[in-house]
Amino acid sequence: MAALTINMPTPARRRTHHRRALRRLAVQVFAIVLLIVTLAPLLWMVQMSFHPSTDVLSLTLVHPTLENYAALWTGRFPASFGNSLVASSVSTALALLTGVPAAYSLSRWRFRARRKVALWILATRMAPPIAFTIPFFLAYRYLHLFDTVTGLIIIYLTFNVPLVVWTMRAFFDGVPHALEEAAWTDGCDIWQAFWRITLPLSVPGLAATTILCFILSWNDFFFALILTRTKAMTAPVAIVNFMQYEGWEWGKIAAAGTLVMLPVVAFTFLVRAYLIQGLMAGGVKE
Amino acid sequence: MAFNFSLSLTRHLRAAPRSAAKSRAATGWDRHRQRLFALGLAPALVVLAATTLAPAVYLVVTSLTPLTPVNPATAFDFSSPWQNYFSALTDARFLHSLWVQVQLSLVTVTMQLAVGLGLALLLDLPSRLIGALRTGFLLPMVLPPIVVAIVWKVLLTPDVSPLHHSLAAIGMPVHSLITNGGTALWAIAFADTWEWFPFTMLMLLAALQMVPREPIEAATIDGAGSLQMFWYVRLPYIRQALVVTAMFRLIDSIKAFPLIYILTDGGPARATEVTNYFAFIQTFNFSYWGYGSAIATLMVAGVLLLSLAINRLGTDGGVDH
Amino acid sequence: MLKRIGRRELIGGGAAAASLLVLPGKAPAQGGGKPLAGVELNVSCWSGAYPKYLTDYIPEFEKATGAKVIYETPSFPIYNQRMDVELSTGSSTYDVINVTFIYIGRWISAGWVTPLDDFIKDPKKTPADWGADDFLEGVASQFHDKQGRLYGIPWIADIYMAGTPRNDLVQKFGGLPDTLEKLEAMLKAAGKLPDMASFLTENHYGWTFIGYLQSFGGNVFRNPPEDLMPVLDTPEAIAAADYYGNLLRTYGPDGVLSYVYDQVTQTLKQGKALYTTDNEMFLVQLAAKDSKVADTCGFSVFPSGAKGWFPQLATHGWGIPAGSTKKDAAWEFIKWAMSKELTQRMFEEKNYSSVARRSVIESPDFKKALTINNFDIGKMYVDTIQRAGAGYMKYRTVPVYPQVDREIDAAIQAIVSQQKSAKEAMQTAQANAIDQIKRSGVKL
Repeated sequence: MAALTINMPTPARRRTHHRRALRRLAVQVFAIVLLIVTLAPLLWMVQMSFHPSTDVLSLTLVHPTLENYAALWTGRFPASFGNSLVASSVSTALALLTGVPAAYSLSRWRFRARRKVALWILATRMAPPIAFTIPFFLAYRYLHLFDTVTGLIIIYLTFNVPLVVWTMRAFFDGVPHALEEAAWTDGCDIWQAFWRITLPLSVPGLAATTILCFILSWNDFFFALILTRTKAMTAPVAIVNFMQYEGWEWGKIAAAGTLVMLPVVAFTFLVRAYLIQGLMAGGVKE
Repeated sequence: MAFNFSLSLTRHLRAAPRSAAKSRAATGWDRHRQRLFALGLAPALVVLAATTLAPAVYLVVTSLTPLTPVNPATAFDFSSPWQNYFSALTDARFLHSLWVQVQLSLVTVTMQLAVGLGLALLLDLPSRLIGALRTGFLLPMVLPPIVVAIVWKVLLTPDVSPLHHSLAAIGMPVHSLITNGGTALWAIAFADTWEWFPFTMLMLLAALQMVPREPIEAATIDGAGSLQMFWYVRLPYIRQALVVTAMFRLIDSIKAFPLIYILTDGGPARATEVTNYFAFIQTFNFSYWGYGSAIATLMVAGVLLLSLAINRLGTDGGVDH
Repeated sequence: MLKRIGRRELIGGGAAAASLLVLPGKAPAQGGGKPLAGVELNVSCWSGAYPKYLTDYIPEFEKATGAKVIYETPSFPIYNQRMDVELSTGSSTYDVINVTFIYIGRWISAGWVTPLDDFIKDPKKTPADWGADDFLEGVASQFHDKQGRLYGIPWIADIYMAGTPRNDLVQKFGGLPDTLEKLEAMLKAAGKLPDMASFLTENHYGWTFIGYLQSFGGNVFRNPPEDLMPVLDTPEAIAAADYYGNLLRTYGPDGVLSYVYDQVTQTLKQGKALYTTDNEMFLVQLAAKDSKVADTCGFSVFPSGAKGWFPQLATHGWGIPAGSTKKDAAWEFIKWAMSKELTQRMFEEKNYSSVARRSVIESPDFKKALTINNFDIGKMYVDTIQRAGAGYMKYRTVPVYPQVDREIDAAIQAIVSQQKSAKEAMQTAQANAIDQIKRSGVKL
């Protein structure tokens, strides 16, 4: 009997417990409501894309139609998707190839100019795109890289390489030295140890960085707007071209927007855990 | 894992002493190691030098000429190298664009921080549900900015906007916000906040979840209310994250482009013409390349100074690497 | 054989550079094959009515010549901005372009477009009956440089006039005004109409406002093209800006500042605005089959002001960039697009009436087709073109007009959104215009 009375919660404690549980529930409900409200504008655009152009405003999908999407698939829109895909993938791959070893060096090697290099990389990420676009535009003219996917790949390196170096360095910093040092004393080369030990441990970081680079490249608007015309036009620019071409047919614009955001949304869901980690490390954005 | 990584960022900025380097003499093996490291670093440096340093030099050089393709001879005209800078400092539109930029940056960063912090505080609860919802919150900031601009173009065009229509239906009609000089910039700031508050929210949430338990428990026992709890207990711990987040958002706000391009074209009457947009118009509408380069150079200098200043302000002693 | 470049080939640096080598200019006439077989022509024009209609005829050209035409029609401001940048780099991306009226001076004087006289005079390239002098003088002359060389073939003589989708309503409020004073009175009488704005123009104010400006006795430059001193801050200019800004602010729809020409046309066709001053090319669409207001629309010339009648006239023409590598093929396209036959067909089949060919204008069908609801638009057209020959349109072929155009846009925006008074706005525009002109190297 005595044992029972000791373990039973007092009324006061029960009240506090209830209050906390209620608060917890309220916060969770609030979070869900907040999410819906936040995503509402986006969802509105998506549902607009299924309306026939004569009826974009109504809330109810009386006649859901795919005609907007069908109309998009003619013309230059599909090609622009391909351009975006190529530019983003290749640029990301190149950035990883050059940036990951550099990030490792920066993480492990204490050399004199280390701080300066880090600052340089940070500065690159901070410069407004127009500072790059002007010289690149003038240079591409002479190099015949204007309106080419190659040209885009190169200029995307200006933000991809710093991103890779900055982010992966943070991940590498989080990998303990001890394992590598053990390998070094065993006679392993630095890069062998890196390949066999550090890299496998950093796969989440790599995944996050890869996704981030791809998304950033895919989302780019300014560089593509200025440096491409018809052959290398990317998906985001195609929407704008298209927007004013069709004289504000909102259904088609909404469809274009939905299509362009699909890859990004898909990636985000697929790798969400890694993405959040990547965004936290180095406080990256864009 | 997430905690480790956000911590590492703040570690970069705090003058935290690292563990003493191993006391090994600079042996040949060490030098060999250094060479290998250098080899790993080199490709990235080469790429960066080619894509950032070279263009930077070119930009500055161009800014010293009155280059405009309408007159090709201007490409090498260094007769009055500071003309563009002098022009800029006396150009009413440039100065106006700086003022618009300051306003936009202040408003949007404050809004993003306030909303982000508020929501982070509210959602600071160990909950699997909230963890799962985080992905959804990511969406506005991973979207292509042009899609964000379209979404808000729809919402802010009275003809097709469900917001405008429903407000009018309940008898509180709102006039077009993006063609009104007083509200255009606010509308852009609002759209920008929608796009980026997830970032600030997630950053601050991570920081909040790293606040150690003891001070909170101690304060609870002492009878601290929520406001005191926040101000005296939590805030000091998240101050670093706040500064970092603010800095990133501030630097980014200077790059704002798609929203302005789609929503207002810098108008009405230049009410939303920020410096970046002004430079864009001068360079790509009127082909004043020399002048545009000068403005771009000034922008870069400004951004660098700004980040240096914030860095110094927010930390004790500057960046440690 | 030259083939269309697929995007797969663009992967990789070397392949990319190689695959983007400029294609040779003339296609070899492979015995018995089509004259332009294998040639890829890049044609670009802003999205006016005519360029949009042309899309339907291009397959005929492709079939007849074997060429492949890549045709794009971005919106007006985007087209101008991109084409300006494109031309400034001497690029060979485009072969046939639109020479936009406010850029004519700039592009011609900078040497960015090709003179067309040799193409026209060469009997092998152009048959005599193509009718190079069939184009209206007042319009074709805009495309000449100071030496008289021709740089564009006009596809439009676009007159600025007035119209209403609801003439039945307008009659109740005093009828279509023939003076600016009566216009204001009519709008005042109309007051606030349910579900409808009273007044609307598109937001390219550097074009739509000038008629009002000159009718009040103002002008853009003191004496173009010799004296380019802007005169935007004269009392007359300020009065005109005040009048126009007031009309838009008081009688325009919500968000009037964001109405581009396409939106205006849509709005008018749905009968959601009472009165507009607009280009003929857009106004005649009110009578189109899909227009809700085909039976109730009405038209008039641009109203006169206190200082006279100044209806505006715009023209755009096809030109060839200086950097194009397929100029002969480009000329074939222009020749075809601007031929008498196609112009006539476009008029008959698409009802495109803003033509610049006298033979079409003077045909009896033209007058008949352009009589809508008993309004003789044909006569308005001819009268306006004749009046515009007086020379007051010279402001827009000045090389620095694009910059001044944008200043006027900003000034009217400031007035309508009440950020500045008319006086402040026009004085700012004046100061900025002088600034811009000086920066372009022009001596004032």
